[in-house]
Amino acid sequence: MKLDYSLVTRRTFLNTLFGGWLAALAAGSAYALLRFIFPTLGKEPDFVILNKGDFLDIPINSVKPFAWGGKLGLFFKKENGTTEALKGVCTHMECNITYRPDVKKFYCACHKGWFDESGKNIEGPPPKPLEIFDITIEGDKLIIAKKGVKVALPKA
Amino acid sequence: MRCRRLKDWVGERYDIEGLRGFIRNKYVPSHRLDVWYFAGGLTLFLFIFQFITGMALALYYVPQAEHAHKSIIDIVTKLNMGWLFRSLHHWGGQLAIAVLFVHVFSTLLLKAYRKPRELLWVTGFVMLIISIFFGLSGYFLLWDERAFAAVRVATGGAGNLPLIGGFVKGFLRGDLDVTGETLTRFYAFHVAILPLVTVAVTGLHVVLVQLHGMSVPLSQQNRQRKPEPFFPNLFYKDLIVWLICLGVVVTLAALFPPQIGVKADPLAPAPENIKPEWYFLFLFQTLKLFPGEIAGLNGETIAIIIISAAIAFFFLIPFFDRRSAAERQSRLFTWIGIFYLVYFTVMTVIGFLT
Repeated sequence: MKLDYSLVTRRTFLNTLFGGWLAALAAGSAYALLRFIFPTLGKEPDFVILNKGDFLDIPINSVKPFAWGGKLGLFFKKENGTTEALKGVCTHMECNITYRPDVKKFYCACHKGWFDESGKNIEGPPPKPLEIFDITIEGDKLIIAKKGVKVALPKA
Repeated sequence: MRCRRLKDWVGERYDIEGLRGFIRNKYVPSHRLDVWYFAGGLTLFLFIFQFITGMALALYYVPQAEHAHKSIIDIVTKLNMGWLFRSLHHWGGQLAIAVLFVHVFSTLLLKAYRKPRELLWVTGFVMLIISIFFGLSGYFLLWDERAFAAVRVATGGAGNLPLIGGFVKGFLRGDLDVTGETLTRFYAFHVAILPLVTVAVTGLHVVLVQLHGMSVPLSQQNRQRKPEPFFPNLFYKDLIVWLICLGVVVTLAALFPPQIGVKADPLAPAPENIKPEWYFLFLFQTLKLFPGEIAGLNGETIAIIIISAAIAFFFLIPFFDRRSAAERQSRLFTWIGIFYLVYFTVMTVIGFLT
């Protein structure tokens, strides 16, 4: 039925009304569902605080792992005694790397990527050097932080 | 006598004669290449087999990072027949994917995807993707260090997709990294989400086969033998093939039980010489072809874009192949099909040998 002065029939009006209502319902439900199934992701830590004694005394030319959030961090003492902290995750496909003291290089077994002592990618597929962290020592604490992050410990 | 009464009971309520008539009138074309028809039914059989062995394993598996690895060892060492069921599910899965690839490539090369069967190709392709995801998620449930590294690489690779990469990665992992959250997610995919989608899509696929009948390759259309009745001839032939396959699976399961590695440790280095499952090797080898950086762009991203484009083209072949749709010989698409098959085979073999 269509009134003389109306632009649409009653059927079109009702269909649009129900259609719009259904579309709004579907959109709302989909939004809620999508929000639910995509988790809120945390972020990587800016710094971690470790015990100085556990790390500084490792032998030269070796590494000791630490937890960088959920990822692998490596505390590294070079042949010449200097120390370095870096993220032990290959920049290619995120596999954990390992240190090979015999050749003094870092190695990723997944796709045969190599990094030199300073973390530079030298062979294989890795596109970028390893991420190097800043090391600071405060009292008996070893603070490993992202480059450029200032860490102020609360005064005890 | 009771059987007679049961028959009447059903017959008074449902159209049994109609169903009988349908089966009696179902004929299958017969020609030189009809042996490839068995691949589809065999895939179906292996899927049913996976459903049954999987349900059995689900009664004992503990989907939690602390206990998952141990629960599998318990299934294999402490439960009655546990070793057999784990092994059957492993080999059933391997064969299901192998047979599925045979089914896909025979469909491709015989152009069975051509009009009017495009939707069969589409549903089949969806099942192929689902099966591979079944494989990846099932493999991860072992929660050993290989599975851990494999899923890190696979989900990390998905993260290299332009625009949607970050979303896909977060959705698959359920966390910033591969963690216990990922295990929960993959378990849900493996035992709830993927099986339900499989039932729906495979159901549609089988219904469409009944609707269209089997496709006769263009080259065989004028050389067909007399069509064979489905029941009983092909029904029994199918059963023979299924039974042989069951024998193969049980033999493989008994002689070559799958291993399980050391429990996954997010802070341990990736294990030496890891290789993905064989059906990922062609992707793995393709990724190796690309350097880390191409003209200042991330080589991974370029590799992933090219691979995605090749897979998308594969998916859309029935819609590009206009000649086959018009029932004419389509040499170009024969060569394209051969290219895909050769590339897949060669890369898989190279990946296997190196």
